[in-house]
Amino acid sequence: MGILLQLLFTGLGIGAIYALVALGFVLLIRAAGVVNFGQGEFAMLGAYLLVIFFNLLALPYWVAILLSIAIMAAFGVVFAGATYWPLRNRGGLPVIISTIGASIFLENMVLVLYGPAAEQVDGLFDAPGIQVGPVFMDSQYLSIMVIATLLVLLQYLIFEKTLLGKKLQATSQDKEMASLLGIPVAAMILITFAYSSAIGGIAGILIAPILFVSTGLASIIALKAFAANIIGGYGSIPGAILGGLALGVVETLGAAYISVPYKDAFAFLMLLAFLLIRPQGLFGEKISEKA
Amino acid sequence: MKLLELQGLTARYGAGDVLKGLDLHVDEGECVALLGSNGAGKSTTLRAISGLVPNLAGDIRLAGKSIKGLKSEAIVRLGVSHVPEGRRVFPGLTVRENIMLGASNRKGLRRAQMNAETDEMLGSFADLGRLQHALGWTLSGGQLQMVAVARGLMAKPRVLLLDEPSLGLAPLIVQQVFRIVADIRSRGTTVLLVEQNAHVALSVADRGYVLETGRLLVTGKPEELWSNPQVRAAYLGGLAA
Repeated sequence: MGILLQLLFTGLGIGAIYALVALGFVLLIRAAGVVNFGQGEFAMLGAYLLVIFFNLLALPYWVAILLSIAIMAAFGVVFAGATYWPLRNRGGLPVIISTIGASIFLENMVLVLYGPAAEQVDGLFDAPGIQVGPVFMDSQYLSIMVIATLLVLLQYLIFEKTLLGKKLQATSQDKEMASLLGIPVAAMILITFAYSSAIGGIAGILIAPILFVSTGLASIIALKAFAANIIGGYGSIPGAILGGLALGVVETLGAAYISVPYKDAFAFLMLLAFLLIRPQGLFGEKISEKA
Repeated sequence: MKLLELQGLTARYGAGDVLKGLDLHVDEGECVALLGSNGAGKSTTLRAISGLVPNLAGDIRLAGKSIKGLKSEAIVRLGVSHVPEGRRVFPGLTVRENIMLGASNRKGLRRAQMNAETDEMLGSFADLGRLQHALGWTLSGGQLQMVAVARGLMAKPRVLLLDEPSLGLAPLIVQQVFRIVADIRSRGTTVLLVEQNAHVALSVADRGYVLETGRLLVTGKPEELWSNPQVRAAYLGGLAA
């Protein structure tokens, strides 16, 4: 029982990362109708920025983190300008292809600039963690869960309690009508890209101390987050969170009880099972085609 | 005084012109009906005024100044509020939130003032107060139309563009909607109304324009339009005034 609880804790920690990246996916789907396959690269870039600011430039840890998040938010706007804006009136597919192209470019750009060697960074706290009953709560996993929860709450407050949130929602539901009301649609979409890139970056910063920082980080996180999005229900915010957490738990339990080398396969088996049995996901509507 | 004026407006969609050199004007405080059959170019005219049609020739002037080529967001800030065909109420937002967002064009409006005006607007439409926390997708056609009009009015427009407000509504609800249109007009708001139901539209309008395949066929006061046998037979359903 103790081991199971321990695995659940670890699975929820990893799942929280998938949930954060999946949240970025969902926001862009809802606001701009864009499936952004560069979402994993946002996490990778966030992790590399932390490596640069903390490991190389030796800035204080929290300064390095805040600087990385700010740069990622700005990067989101640049990314939107390069991949979405020129193609925004040409339907969903060209933008998807464009984000795939951008993700390949970014991964290889980092490879050229930084090389293939993986980097490691310190965790948020020096203390290894705390023992709660049979479960040892690693401080980094605990930080991931707390920060992910705070971000979800912050997002809820922004979307549900502020006028900006209502304008963002209106833009996601009907862009033309939003513009007829005087809502600056372009600004709303750019804000969503910035936010989406920032939370992707935060996910990368949070997972950097657990996994080695390498260019491979991007694709695996992106695929898991996309799977979380499908499992939770395409375009659903609660679905992205629950889908991410479920995926983290399933792959951790699968790795522990069945096979470590097939860890990633469990996540995708879960995705396949959902596509066959419940294609609309946990919270989604029944759809035959989107984006 | 001409508040809104179209001068030789031509709109192109794909290979063909939907509007072909359209001239019309709406005086301040006037309610003008734009009539015609399906495909005559009525909705395109409103969309062009609101900056939603990219390929335009001719000019659109608001209080003497050209607004052609401006973005929709800029046009609504200048005082042109568009209640489009199909109501387009945001389905995932509540009635209150939908109406509140109608004031998005008014820069510097404080949240408290926006809330007070939303309360006032909710109170001035029967039923909307009680429905204020209902989500858009749960509303009936008539309720959606009320929300769409209330949202349009929150912009405090100089000109209200109303596109097919009676479409798909039961006769009793149509009467209710047009009582509201008459009320808006009596309070001095300039209205350009697009309607297929000529009978109800001309009952509230000061003047009417009848379009045929993007061209102006005839214009005049309601009684003049009713007395034109060609217009009555072809575009007004042959109904007597």
